[in-house]
Amino acid sequence: MTEFIVKPGVKNIQNKGEKLITTHCCYCGMQCGMHIRVNEKSGKVVGVEPRYDWPVTLGKMCPKGVTAYQTVDHEERIKTPLIKKNGKFVESTWEEALDLIEKNFKRLQNDHGKDALSVYGGVSMTNEKCYLVGKYARVALGTRFVDYNGRFCMSSAAGGFMKTLGTDRGSTLPWTELEHTDCFFISGWNAAECHPTSIQWLWKARDKGAKMIVVDPRETQIARIADVHLDIKSGTDSALANGMLHIIVRDGYVDEAYVNERCNNYEEMKELVKKFTPEYTSQITGVSVEKLEKAARIYGQSPRSVVMFCRGIEQQSKGVDNVSVYTSMALLRGQIGKFASGVATVTGQGNGQGGREHGQKADALPGYRKIADPEHVKYVAGVWGIKPEEMPKAGVSAYEMFDEIQEGNIRAMHVMCSNPAVSAPNTQYVWDSFRKLDFLVVSDFFMSETAEFADVVLPATTWAEDEGTTTNLEGRVIRIRKVKDPIGESKTDWEIMKLIAERMGKGEFFPYENVPEIFDEFRLASKGGKADYYGITYDRIDKEDGVFWPCPSEDHPGTPTMFIDEFGTPDGKANLAAVDWQEAAEIPDFEYPHTLTTGRVVFHYLSGTQTRRVKFLMEQCPEPYVEMHPELSSRYNIQNGDNVLLTTRRGSMTVKARLTKAIRADHVFIPYHWGKELSVNQLTNPALDPTSRMPEFKVCAVNLKKVN
Amino acid sequence: MKKVMYLEFERCIGCRSCQAACRECGGHDAKERNYVEYIDFFESRQTFPMMCMQCKDPACARVCPANAIQITEEGVVLSAMEEKCIGCRNCTFGCPFGIPKFDFEENKMYKCDMCYDRTKHDIAPMCASVCPSDAIRFIDHEEMMELRRKRTQMNLIEGKKPSENDKWQYVPEFFGVYSD
Repeated sequence: MTEFIVKPGVKNIQNKGEKLITTHCCYCGMQCGMHIRVNEKSGKVVGVEPRYDWPVTLGKMCPKGVTAYQTVDHEERIKTPLIKKNGKFVESTWEEALDLIEKNFKRLQNDHGKDALSVYGGVSMTNEKCYLVGKYARVALGTRFVDYNGRFCMSSAAGGFMKTLGTDRGSTLPWTELEHTDCFFISGWNAAECHPTSIQWLWKARDKGAKMIVVDPRETQIARIADVHLDIKSGTDSALANGMLHIIVRDGYVDEAYVNERCNNYEEMKELVKKFTPEYTSQITGVSVEKLEKAARIYGQSPRSVVMFCRGIEQQSKGVDNVSVYTSMALLRGQIGKFASGVATVTGQGNGQGGREHGQKADALPGYRKIADPEHVKYVAGVWGIKPEEMPKAGVSAYEMFDEIQEGNIRAMHVMCSNPAVSAPNTQYVWDSFRKLDFLVVSDFFMSETAEFADVVLPATTWAEDEGTTTNLEGRVIRIRKVKDPIGESKTDWEIMKLIAERMGKGEFFPYENVPEIFDEFRLASKGGKADYYGITYDRIDKEDGVFWPCPSEDHPGTPTMFIDEFGTPDGKANLAAVDWQEAAEIPDFEYPHTLTTGRVVFHYLSGTQTRRVKFLMEQCPEPYVEMHPELSSRYNIQNGDNVLLTTRRGSMTVKARLTKAIRADHVFIPYHWGKELSVNQLTNPALDPTSRMPEFKVCAVNLKKVN
Repeated sequence: MKKVMYLEFERCIGCRSCQAACRECGGHDAKERNYVEYIDFFESRQTFPMMCMQCKDPACARVCPANAIQITEEGVVLSAMEEKCIGCRNCTFGCPFGIPKFDFEENKMYKCDMCYDRTKHDIAPMCASVCPSDAIRFIDHEEMMELRRKRTQMNLIEGKKPSENDKWQYVPEFFGVYSD
């Protein structure tokens, strides 16, 4: 029920000898619409042109989006398979590389069983490829060990939503409605740097008088103009949200009719939040009572509000609890399933939404089905043409795979579209695990830090060299179009999986000749699941500017607004969260007296494998830095630009200081996009959330020292 | 060209998309001609885009001894003409906004030409097209006058001032730039 679709009919520049190919950006979950300029003669990508008619972003792009095309024909692209010989990579043929993979995979499975192999996927790939990763691991390799980098990104949101709402779709409303919202309650989301093109919607709403409450230990670009900035101590989010619930209940802001009709657990929740008085909440969170009262009053009185959150609250060892309590705020106000209101988590990776729905997770099968459910296994086995008893059991989460390597259970790994050597927490342990592996295959289009550990590197393609669908942060399924032919001898990830499957004697299960064939199978595999894509076709996506899932049949209009009538739980009612606040896994003490938190800068994407190779982006932000309050730095006699040694229980690193008053005085912040000695994940804590198995990137105890 | 560039500083989120996009414009040779600055990073994350004002009586053109800086009939102040520019750099000193820059390798001045190949067809310049926060807009003159009139009602400014730290004292007023 999008109220308006913007089609301003603006002309685009199209130079002579060039064609414009309509697609979407390869980076974050905004999936901004863009045209790629291609030279008709040479077939090379030469530039980018805004796409004014894409309703979600209206031609807007961030600096990453503008320069994304520069990675496609980049000189550092891997163009042939590489095999490590005597510690050095040498170019090889596909035959040679596949022979080696086949030999090692078969040998290890013979010696150590099927589960000696593992697959580590990623969600910057299309839905088709993400779907195939699950099938490849379970059918071609027959292993239970498959998981993906979304474990570090979206799994807590998924866990929290499943618990409270019964279905995990990141945003319960289309973003084109956001400009009609009256109040934004934003927690742990640095919108301006992580999803810049979403800002236009927030600012449009602000022009119309919308209020904004921002919860963040740093005074981010959006916090600086918020009505209330709750400068929270990292790791105390569920206390703050419980405090909000307390005031909402106390002051009668609850939508009683909605809660009685559509929610369970209200009495328990009321009982629990009784103790979270503003004073008690203030003691835990470090936010003043006045600000808490003001924020709850603004939120409680707004007729249409959206609660939004992101990695700030999710990348914690209590991430699922945090998500549940914040979601309960929206439920208590009766905001879910209404126009211009609801709850939204914001995906950091391009296909963070679609990629987590289709069986890349250790315990999941396509369409949000569960391996633990025999009916689900039976259905998917039927689609794949295997016997249900052949379906491997659930494996372990991404970080736990490294424990399995250390214990000798996993002997080989195939990493696709991911760079855990930078993005996993406690990276020194991860590096050590990679060294312990008998055999490591990495598919990537640049030599990533992970690829350097590999025995075989397979040249994969960029997003511009293949087609398929992705699901943006709204839950809108969109089309990525092929812009040019693959460079050198590189192949798409689905071709690579197919080739290895053939070598493993499972070629009959991977008969695909092109992407639409995979898409059709994947639609069928998701049919009847919670994330039902069955009714979505390429034609419909083109005609309707994307289709929102669930869309169970071709005559179904799709679902822009979720939960209008009922929730995804078995009884159709949402479960309000009654969860007490718990301390972060590691809190400051005498030895490590400060809190370290990590995040993004606008110029880089994830582990920086792509963006660190783009000249403009590197000029803007060439290296990590530590952001600290002058009050804190003065205690250590640190000046702007001084080198600071930061040490946690897991490691230490040296970076330059950047002083600003726009951060809590007891916190320091380091962006995470660099590898090796510049990787802040050497310091972060791998404590996992008990449900989502997401590590605690956002909070750990650290000490500082000025070094010369 | 009936439209004007309109800047609203407090909307700026410092992402520098405008700079990245400027490099993409035809003939810009991967050099940006607009800039984004922090007002005072030590105090706040407030940034602002610094664009060519396309002055009605441009100082850069006035101080050019070779008459190399042309102004189009729509009022767009162009980069120095290669065949006329003598490389004296007077324009870089003359501009009060620091917009013209000098390319020592090519021995010529370059500055924002308001993406003339786009704007002459009424297509927004690259910087305004991509600006994710609408801090830079390419809009009708009437729309700009309307926005200016509404200025005191605008939520981003009035009635929304955070009381802590007096951040707003760092925010300059926004303005529209005329091109006709």
